[in-house]
Amino acid sequence: MSEKDSRQIKKFSNLSHKTFLGIVLKGFMDMMPLNLAVIPWGILCGSLAIQRDFTILEALLMPLIVFAGSAQLVATELIGGNAPLATILFTTFIISSRHFLYGLALRDKLKVLPSKWRYPLGFLLTDELFALSGNSKSFKGKVRLIYAVASGGSFYLCWLLWNVIGIFAGSYLPDLTTLGLDFAIAVTFIALVIPSIKNIPILVAVIVSGVCSVIFKLLAWELDLVLASILGMCAGYNVLRYQKRNEQMNDENKL
Amino acid sequence: MTLLIIFLMALITFSTRYLLIHPKIPLKLSARMVSFLSFSAPAVLTAIWVPIIFIREGQLALSLSNPYLISASIAVYVAAKTTNIYFTLLSSGAIFIILRITM
Repeated sequence: MSEKDSRQIKKFSNLSHKTFLGIVLKGFMDMMPLNLAVIPWGILCGSLAIQRDFTILEALLMPLIVFAGSAQLVATELIGGNAPLATILFTTFIISSRHFLYGLALRDKLKVLPSKWRYPLGFLLTDELFALSGNSKSFKGKVRLIYAVASGGSFYLCWLLWNVIGIFAGSYLPDLTTLGLDFAIAVTFIALVIPSIKNIPILVAVIVSGVCSVIFKLLAWELDLVLASILGMCAGYNVLRYQKRNEQMNDENKL
Repeated sequence: MTLLIIFLMALITFSTRYLLIHPKIPLKLSARMVSFLSFSAPAVLTAIWVPIIFIREGQLALSLSNPYLISASIAVYVAAKTTNIYFTLLSSGAIFIILRITM
């Protein structure tokens, strides 16, 4: 163990009770808009499972271990309709495949962590946690790890809670999805994405991804989300390279 | 049977999230790849929210009678001006509710 490591560990163990709670609270508060935005889907997922004749245990296991939004919803319908196992699993895989992008984007930061941090963070790596992981210093150092687990964990607990409400009270509640509550998730992502547009390449990535996502969705392509994202990323990356090349050429011209 | 399906699904969702952060996977990201991936958050999140706004009931809804479109435009404007998540949620959410009631 290097001197730096032992110094860091000493620093961590000195992390007082108060600061620890402060970090957890900050993680929880930062995730709060997203926790609230998914209330209608959580309740829908829970109540749909019961309507499709899931037992309470099965309905609880969906948010507990599958822990997915749209994949959970679609699979519940498929299971309820007695779809073949391969169809259910393949659909789950397609809907969930965007997470490969998140893993790839965070790979260099997360692969170096000890497994006691890596496995839980991998499990908690949803759209929502990824949305809060944009900072270049995210997952670096114990404080930011606690923050990540607290924010991701609060999302897990809330998702579970909304599902439980759906399981036990779904039949007494109106269908929340017809109230236009899907606007909540859209506007939350707007509030996260727009301030992150700090230069032209990111702006191009966002526009290309947005336009493609609408076209692919209208065409009902299965991998609409992933394809639109990758095209947007390609566009942004190429604009960035073009800018850098131009800068280089300008520099050379000056010489 | 449903229990087995649920366990297999859990295996799939966890694998898609965890696989590429596992250290034993022989995968080294080049500087170019890292630069490419830096666009993933804005690109993916946008690909999630844009269809919610522009596609209503399976159809492209570009008209001003689409409350999602008007409220989202306000959200984009407020988010760009204030960069405050709560302010964005409250202002566009209020407009959205008013539009839903009156339209």
